[in-house]
Amino acid sequence: MLSTLQPPRSLSLLPLRRLRNSKTIVSAASSTTSVISPPQSQILTTRRSLLSGETTAAEIAKSYLSRIRLTEPQLKCFLHVSENVLKDAQEIDQRIAKGEELGPLAGVLIGVKDNICTQGMPSTAASRILEHYRPPFDATAVKKIKELGGIVVGKTNMDEFGMGSTTEASAFQVTANPWDLSRVPGGSSGGSAAAVAARQCMVSLGSDTGGSVRQPASFCGVVGLKPTYGRVSRFGLMAYASSLDVIGCFGSTVADAGMLLHAISGYDRFDSTSSKQDVPEFQSQFLSVDHFESKPLNGVKVGIIRETLEDGVDSGVRSATQEAASHLEALGCVLTEVSLPSFSLGLPAYYVIASSESSSNLSRYDGVRYGNQVMAEELNKLYECSRGEGFGGEVKMRILMGTYALSAGYYDAYYKRAQQVRTLIRKDFKAALEQNDILISPAAPSAAYKIGEKKDDPLAMYAGDIMTVNVNLAGLPAMVLPCGLVEGGPSGLPVGLQMIGAAFDEEKLLKVGHIFEQTLKGSSFVPPLLANVP
Amino acid sequence: MATRALLAVIYASPNRCYISPSRIKIQSLTCSSSSHYYQRQSRKNHRIARSYSSDSDSSVLQPPDVARLAQTARISLTPAEIEECETKIRRVIDWFGQLQQVDVNSVEPAIRAEMDGGNLREDAPETFDNRDSIRASIPSFEDAYLKVPKILNKE
Repeated sequence: MLSTLQPPRSLSLLPLRRLRNSKTIVSAASSTTSVISPPQSQILTTRRSLLSGETTAAEIAKSYLSRIRLTEPQLKCFLHVSENVLKDAQEIDQRIAKGEELGPLAGVLIGVKDNICTQGMPSTAASRILEHYRPPFDATAVKKIKELGGIVVGKTNMDEFGMGSTTEASAFQVTANPWDLSRVPGGSSGGSAAAVAARQCMVSLGSDTGGSVRQPASFCGVVGLKPTYGRVSRFGLMAYASSLDVIGCFGSTVADAGMLLHAISGYDRFDSTSSKQDVPEFQSQFLSVDHFESKPLNGVKVGIIRETLEDGVDSGVRSATQEAASHLEALGCVLTEVSLPSFSLGLPAYYVIASSESSSNLSRYDGVRYGNQVMAEELNKLYECSRGEGFGGEVKMRILMGTYALSAGYYDAYYKRAQQVRTLIRKDFKAALEQNDILISPAAPSAAYKIGEKKDDPLAMYAGDIMTVNVNLAGLPAMVLPCGLVEGGPSGLPVGLQMIGAAFDEEKLLKVGHIFEQTLKGSSFVPPLLANVP
Repeated sequence: MATRALLAVIYASPNRCYISPSRIKIQSLTCSSSSHYYQRQSRKNHRIARSYSSDSDSSVLQPPDVARLAQTARISLTPAEIEECETKIRRVIDWFGQLQQVDVNSVEPAIRAEMDGGNLREDAPETFDNRDSIRASIPSFEDAYLKVPKILNKE
């Protein structure tokens, strides 16, 4: 994920761009009718209707495929739509007819970010260097989804190799935000977020290295869940920065994101960094709102991160976050302000580490064993030309920066130092999470901006990652869920609240997030695009 | 940058996938030569880091030579690309400089998030079933070999 040049508060080397002032519209200003009842889990709804015989998996699949056909020309979320969706759905129906046991994801339509390997289906990481690559294996996360009955709808668009915040760095297409087609969906998992927002699929997988699940979740008005580092196997996820990468989940509800996470979590012998920690039954957190007590989050300690509400954050985002904090208080939470002194160091430290690790990880794309090859008379020339032509500008830049930071004589000054800063950041988080159950902040300093607005201005682009990168450096779990709308677009633009938990404490995040979502009044997070789409 | 597998010799016996010994030799040469180089540089590192940490201007370290970096990273760039990259990269590297202001005295570097240890597997080879699919991805493949052009020694 592309991070950028937000200078620390005390050392302003570069002018901060003042983001446009906007008012919060927390009431349902969308053109769709305001929904009184809380959002329902699509996974559970699908399961109920399949088991009751109300509908078939094939019928559900057809309706989603039809919606994809109608909306894809405008949205461009998918790089590849599977030819086997209907066939997979029919297999589920046959199993139902035979009375066989159904996995918890039976009939659930899932989008998969294109840097996650899917056997026999193109997996390009949105890069020309892998343009026609079809992996010989499924990523572990994909394998688990299939074993549980999930149907992979297709591969979603992203910034090339995860390096970007808008999908504008994709070698193939730019995805549009379903809330306003002239705006970015966020990135790098922009396609996955937009596809869920536009109901082209029920849930989707993304990857999060510096915020690439959480920021697009905020921009598209969906739930984005980043697990603890090691919770989900990275086997089959094309590596960008190995100490930061995780596979994350998108859903239109907290329950959906949580259930998908449960499905893909667990130790994997193919990933030496995957954790042997038990995976709790997340489902027990998703009680129906009718069963909530009057103060369902009584006593839960919430720390609001002071450094995330200072200058440089859009006033609309700040208001939405503060109102979300009030909502949590009304539910019984105890709110305090916390300070993370190392907060602003996260961005440069992240950028050093991510560039360095990516320069190493992307060395495997050499045109020899897979991907596009540019033949040459000499081996080094083959490498240089294959890579020179196959990689986009942003990727090349990152690799060169990483090469520099890791060169002999510079390693201590950059990479090692960034690792030391990482220790400081981890300590700050640990201290804050000893005093609090969760921490909250905005997911991004603004709502979705226009396509092309920041493409030529790396400084402005990078500033957007300030809220998210520290969480990756610390390896903690975090979830973004829509908490309000701000001005912009045909009916407002969604803004997400970020909740950060202690390591391996996704359960608490899901509990708080679910209750928050189910009791949030007044906003419908269905994009206006869907008003005219069946 | 370590030399990658140039030849994977897949023997006639269908269940064996064997990397030729010459590749292992090349890799170990590269590793030992780079660590030797690093040792020579370590005193220089200390000097640089010390002077860097007392200097608020971040330009004590040599600025990035993009053409050389591109060669190291095996990426070909047009002159226009080099120029564009150079400006952007210098700005970013300058910005990295703020990390030098931080007191990291006696702070342990964190390689990654805390993890359970001991996740090593058995040092035993396993056969991968879908070798045809691997072969299908190889751009230049002939008989049992990946085909690549010759290496020329640089002057």
